[in-house]
Amino acid sequence: MKKNGKPIYVPVAGQAFYEGRDVFIKAALEAVSAQFSLDGASFYEYDEKPGLLRLRHRCAGGVSFEHEENLKPAPGSAAARAIETLEYAVSKTAGGSFLHSPFRFDYCDPGGGRSVIPCFGLVRMERSARRKRFSPAEAARADAYLRSYLRDYYKAEFFSLHRKYDKNVTAITELTEVFATALRVRDSFRHILSGIQTYFGFDRVRLYLIDEKNRKLKGELSADIRGQIKSISYEEIPLEPGAHRFADIVLGRSSGAFMERYKDCVLYMPLAVQGVTIGLLIVDNLLSQQRIEPQELAMLKSFGGQIALAVDNSRLFDKVEELSLYDELTKLPLRRYFNQRFQEEFYRAERFKQPLAMIWADVDYFKEVNDTYGHQIGDKVLKEAGRLILSNLRKIDFPCRYGGDEIIILLPQATGEEARRLAQRLSQELAELRIPVPFSKTRELRVTMSIGISTFPADGSTMDALLEKADDALYWVKSHGRGKIALYSDVAEEKKKAEAPGGNNNVPAK
Amino acid sequence: MLIWLLSDYDHRKHLAFKSLLARFSSSFPQAKVEFSVKSRGSLWESLFAHLRDPKRNPLPDIIEIPQNWTELFSRLGLLADLARRVEPLGQRRFPEFILKELCRHEDDRAFSAPWWLEAPALFYRPQELKSVVSHPEEELASWDGFRGALERVGPRSKRGRFRALSVPGSSGSVSVADVLPRVWGRRGGLFSDDFNRATFTREETAGGIEDWLELAVSGKIELFSPDRFENGPRPAEECAFMISSRKIPGSGRAGLKMLPYPGYPSGGGLTLVYNLAVSASSQAQDEACAFVSWALEPRNVAQFAEGFGVFPCVKSVFEEGLREEREAAVYRRLFSAPELKPNIMVYPTAELLLERALWNLSLKIARRDYEREDLTRELIMAQGEADYLLSLY
Repeated sequence: MKKNGKPIYVPVAGQAFYEGRDVFIKAALEAVSAQFSLDGASFYEYDEKPGLLRLRHRCAGGVSFEHEENLKPAPGSAAARAIETLEYAVSKTAGGSFLHSPFRFDYCDPGGGRSVIPCFGLVRMERSARRKRFSPAEAARADAYLRSYLRDYYKAEFFSLHRKYDKNVTAITELTEVFATALRVRDSFRHILSGIQTYFGFDRVRLYLIDEKNRKLKGELSADIRGQIKSISYEEIPLEPGAHRFADIVLGRSSGAFMERYKDCVLYMPLAVQGVTIGLLIVDNLLSQQRIEPQELAMLKSFGGQIALAVDNSRLFDKVEELSLYDELTKLPLRRYFNQRFQEEFYRAERFKQPLAMIWADVDYFKEVNDTYGHQIGDKVLKEAGRLILSNLRKIDFPCRYGGDEIIILLPQATGEEARRLAQRLSQELAELRIPVPFSKTRELRVTMSIGISTFPADGSTMDALLEKADDALYWVKSHGRGKIALYSDVAEEKKKAEAPGGNNNVPAK
Repeated sequence: MLIWLLSDYDHRKHLAFKSLLARFSSSFPQAKVEFSVKSRGSLWESLFAHLRDPKRNPLPDIIEIPQNWTELFSRLGLLADLARRVEPLGQRRFPEFILKELCRHEDDRAFSAPWWLEAPALFYRPQELKSVVSHPEEELASWDGFRGALERVGPRSKRGRFRALSVPGSSGSVSVADVLPRVWGRRGGLFSDDFNRATFTREETAGGIEDWLELAVSGKIELFSPDRFENGPRPAEECAFMISSRKIPGSGRAGLKMLPYPGYPSGGGLTLVYNLAVSASSQAQDEACAFVSWALEPRNVAQFAEGFGVFPCVKSVFEEGLREEREAAVYRRLFSAPELKPNIMVYPTAELLLERALWNLSLKIARRDYEREDLTRELIMAQGEADYLLSLY
């Protein structure tokens, strides 16, 4: 736009809205370069402590580009004067003529913090030596033009901070919900870590829990920057002073100079419930080496109590669930849990036409053991039997304390013969056990088991039939001297022979 | 299609890319291509910002990266595999020393395409060294020889704006880019050969860093230079020595001669390679790959590299450029045993750790309260962090 042959510079404040600092700086430099026919324009931030001008953005030869350069203005130079007085200053050197337009404004943290965020720097406009220098009037106009732009810079900065604030409010609301609803250990730890990553986006978040019994800090889960979660259960740290940095932190010992250096990009957060430390949450930006904003650190710290409570709750929930599904004495699942799994395994065997074997075992003369030596010794027998069974099974096998001294083991994809081999091993190992009995003459007790086995589909095509046939086989062993193993198919054969004319009705099982 | 170009202290690079794009647009008028120039720090931040919040921080279609960022960002899932989509990669049309570091663990995948390369070298003005050095080629081959010559030329350099040594690529402080060639020259490095531990404090590494810091402590290079702020980089004709990895325009006119970077016993040296990568999240991957292939066509890559005094990575053009070079003999020595920065996941972060240590030391030197122990302490800290990183990744 021209009036009387001279260009008129229209203030642009309020006309534009920029999504963040970089977009603004680029637009400002391009606009001022075009308006005032500049050969170059550079945007510097001023770092007051070391007195450095930090180049952020430059526009030259029709190209805008970011760049990093940290230089000091010469004392008494135009740039130094501009910084000192906050008034524009002009200079001319062999390289050309320069106009330095400084800016400084402070604004309050929209997140509600008490700190004031300073914005201090200058824009350097340049023309090459062969072109006309900046006249006082032109310099004043260019400075005014830039200042009008800087009001938008204020808005751009404020917008960026406000966006962060918005994000934090959302994080508070949604994470509180995540932590409050986290119940089961396996899921809740994942939810907690995912929640933290969704709202904070650290390079890595790791959760360690204290194993009080073994005095160890054990790794649980780790979530990376892409939100991928993996187990770190292989990490075990002795909970002793000096054993490891993490142990020292959990034990409340000094972290030293090394940690001091990390403090901007790592947060070690001991998790405590009612004054008792239960674990350690570590968030870090070590790979990117990006500073974790103090605001984010403060917010995460404020979540510490909730995270600890959520972790503790989910551990308690799992404990309660364990108590309701597992027998505390033998550590074997209880009948209720067994019924559910039996249904699943039976359905699978039926659908995929795979064999399924069932072992039904009973400790011989268990009532007599209780009556003679007391329930404590009886409990010891059951406990040993449980330990022995758990240590001999495959991962897919499913044992259960069915009631009293009766134990059932489901063996998916196993034939009768395979089940018999396992039963023999269990029987033999149990027979070799010596249960110490302090006040008896023999000082020790030896026990045996009677075992009946049925298989699907050979012995029964329904769940009830399978149970019934295993029970039949067990009954047959019990009525034929105990301490043995019988497959229902053999029992049926024997029964048939016994029922046949002239048959022997008292033949022991194989 | 959007391209992020890595910013350069030499504005000729941005202009060379602009003209490359202009040629592309005239060849393919239907293609809409834009570019923005990002600083190394800002590019790094933007890539991590994308990982944290991909929707709010989208990536462009094509990104220029230092070659040794490839492993990190491909493992973080940001880069597309170009091996079968960019012809020169499929045909392995790059010098062997580049291919070796392209993909350390697999031959059939490549997450970035080598584009251009540079190697730091020493430039000197014989007329300024007449009474200082009798046989430049021999005396300036070692670091001590170079350092002695610099000392002797010092007093003469007081006149006017003349400087004994100029480093046009300097960022103001001592940076990793400054010290690594010297570290390499001493056969040091940031990691052990098996990459199992950091070696910042190893004698060769620390010594290489110290050699460069000593130039700053003794005032041979000026940190945060006010003169550079006021007048820009010193022109070739106003220096006795220049350390630059670019061919210097008008070096013949300015009476500049070239030698390999002082102190490389092997005769080779550190070579810096820059690659083009395609974002894995790009909606226009085919177009992006087509652009990368086009940019690597011999004529295009040659013109672009020539525009700011570097070498193209495509083997045939690289070798042709070497043959036609005025200082062909020196460049042949430079590239006789070139060494690239290792393309491993934690290397870029290790450089940042060292960068931070060097920044702290630079501030101390500028304040004139630097002592040798400061270097040891900074390197011990940085090494500890790098070792910790190695244990995590």
